[in-house]
Amino acid sequence: MVNFELRRDRIVARFRDKKSEWVIEPRYWRNPIIGISVLLILPLFVSSYPHILAMFTTANLYAAIAIPLSLQMLGTGRVNFGPQLYLGIGGYTAALLNLHFGWSPALTLAATITVCAVISLLLSPTTLIAKGLYFSLITLILPLTFMDVTFIWGDIFRGEVGLVGMSALLTFEKATWNYIAYYYLSLFLMLAYLLFSDRIVRSRFGINLAAINENENVARMMGVNVDHYKVFYYVLPSILTGIVGWFIVHTFRTFAGVTYLPLEFMTKILIIVIVGGRAFLYGAIPGAYLISIVEDSLRGLGPVNYFLFPLVLIALIVFLPRGEGLWGLYHKKRPRDYFPKLHVRRE
Amino acid sequence: MLEIKTVSKNFGGLAAVSDVSFSVKEGEVVGLIGPNGAGKTTMLNLICGIYKADSGSISFDGTDITKMDSAKICKLGISRTYQIPQPFESMTALAGVLVGVLNGKNRPNMSLPDAALEASYYLEFVGLFAKRDTLARDLNLYELRMLELARALATTPKLLLLDEVMAGLNPTESSWALDMIWSAQEQFAISILWIEHVMKIIMNATQRVVVLQYGKKIAEGPPKEVTSDPKIIEAYLGARYAQH
Repeated sequence: MVNFELRRDRIVARFRDKKSEWVIEPRYWRNPIIGISVLLILPLFVSSYPHILAMFTTANLYAAIAIPLSLQMLGTGRVNFGPQLYLGIGGYTAALLNLHFGWSPALTLAATITVCAVISLLLSPTTLIAKGLYFSLITLILPLTFMDVTFIWGDIFRGEVGLVGMSALLTFEKATWNYIAYYYLSLFLMLAYLLFSDRIVRSRFGINLAAINENENVARMMGVNVDHYKVFYYVLPSILTGIVGWFIVHTFRTFAGVTYLPLEFMTKILIIVIVGGRAFLYGAIPGAYLISIVEDSLRGLGPVNYFLFPLVLIALIVFLPRGEGLWGLYHKKRPRDYFPKLHVRRE
Repeated sequence: MLEIKTVSKNFGGLAAVSDVSFSVKEGEVVGLIGPNGAGKTTMLNLICGIYKADSGSISFDGTDITKMDSAKICKLGISRTYQIPQPFESMTALAGVLVGVLNGKNRPNMSLPDAALEASYYLEFVGLFAKRDTLARDLNLYELRMLELARALATTPKLLLLDEVMAGLNPTESSWALDMIWSAQEQFAISILWIEHVMKIIMNATQRVVVLQYGKKIAEGPPKEVTSDPKIIEAYLGARYAQH
């Protein structure tokens, strides 16, 4: 039979000659399984409040954008200020193809991936050419340009009102079921990204990514093919972000460039990355939840929230340890792990 | 092994290296000396592909590496250390060496634990195994230099370029470092091109010395002969001392 044994810091389960250990010491509570199970049972408690479920769905999507962004920061060693560009590209591709040509979500997913891959491949030389701040400036301007395009060709993109009436991924008769289903779908999307990125970061490629993030030139001297890595880790996160756009189109069934392309949205994502933990992947989730809860609770105060929301964010960065948000809290406990820095490079 | 033929490099109007040719044979330790600003480090950067030569050619083991990417040069078997140590600051010592193990050669099937085992061998070799979990930014200068050496050895080089390894070390530490480099040369069968200001070490450790001044090669030969050459004394100490 299975024998359980309680030790000081762990539970040991024994079954015949097999042993499995479960660490319960508080400093290991980042244990992802606990976090995932909390997220999985969360809707049971709030299923009667659809707006909270919608808020959590948004939080999951924020995290699903922040996680690839973190991966990109690692792999290219640069800070991308416009991750929402591919959200817009992916979203518009899916929405337009679905509306005008009646493509099913599966087909638009393939189209989204293709379009994002092609465009990001075309733009990927910026990671090699643009040094330091210029990369951030270029990536900052691209989504804003795209937003202008959605206004100029308003009859296609409907920049101000947005596209409506795309087909849904799932539909249930009860509205509550819809909310719960979309919460779980977004959760699975986010978790898939998290586990995928985590797998990369913990593999032998992760070591090379860390080296590129630390010092590109030295990494190159030690035989890391930096150019290949940079192109790959620009294209892959771009595709992942594009898929989030596709997901938004087919769950919320509206898509407007005004919502996702402006600087406001970018600020939110970057704040999640900073508060939740720079290029630390797990941090993106508490960061995203915190930001969307703060955003949602301040929205009730009326127009004042445009002023309060940034103040709260600044306070978070200033008052949490090391100026690094929630990540600082965690890092204080474990200073020896490898955590990359946010670099704005001069060379 | 390494053949450098009439290599020149200009930065704007400044000729950092002009028409320098020399070679390094297999198993040889060659010193590269010269006063400050003579172009020694530029020469090293040209060899490992950080700068591309304006004219002339550099070949290694019969392969032309003049215009080659540094990563490929590293895979061919040239590895270097830096004058100012450039560790991966937020990475542990072991992780820094791991990068070299995984990328120094094409090792598509090497797993991370295997690589860590090999990396810890190199760390043990330079005497830093006890510091394997220390972040590189917490190491002192001697340890940083040894970490750089371990990192360079981990890429399995045939030619090791050392850029002022002894700078800033006290006599005890530099004698340790010297022992380390000698045993590395024996154990891994590498050739060394060594930039150094400490003449005592150059005299003892190298078989041949190349002297640069204002980007030009002014002498080449065994260290004993070179140091008694009046031209070299003039370059280092000025014309007044050369007469005696």
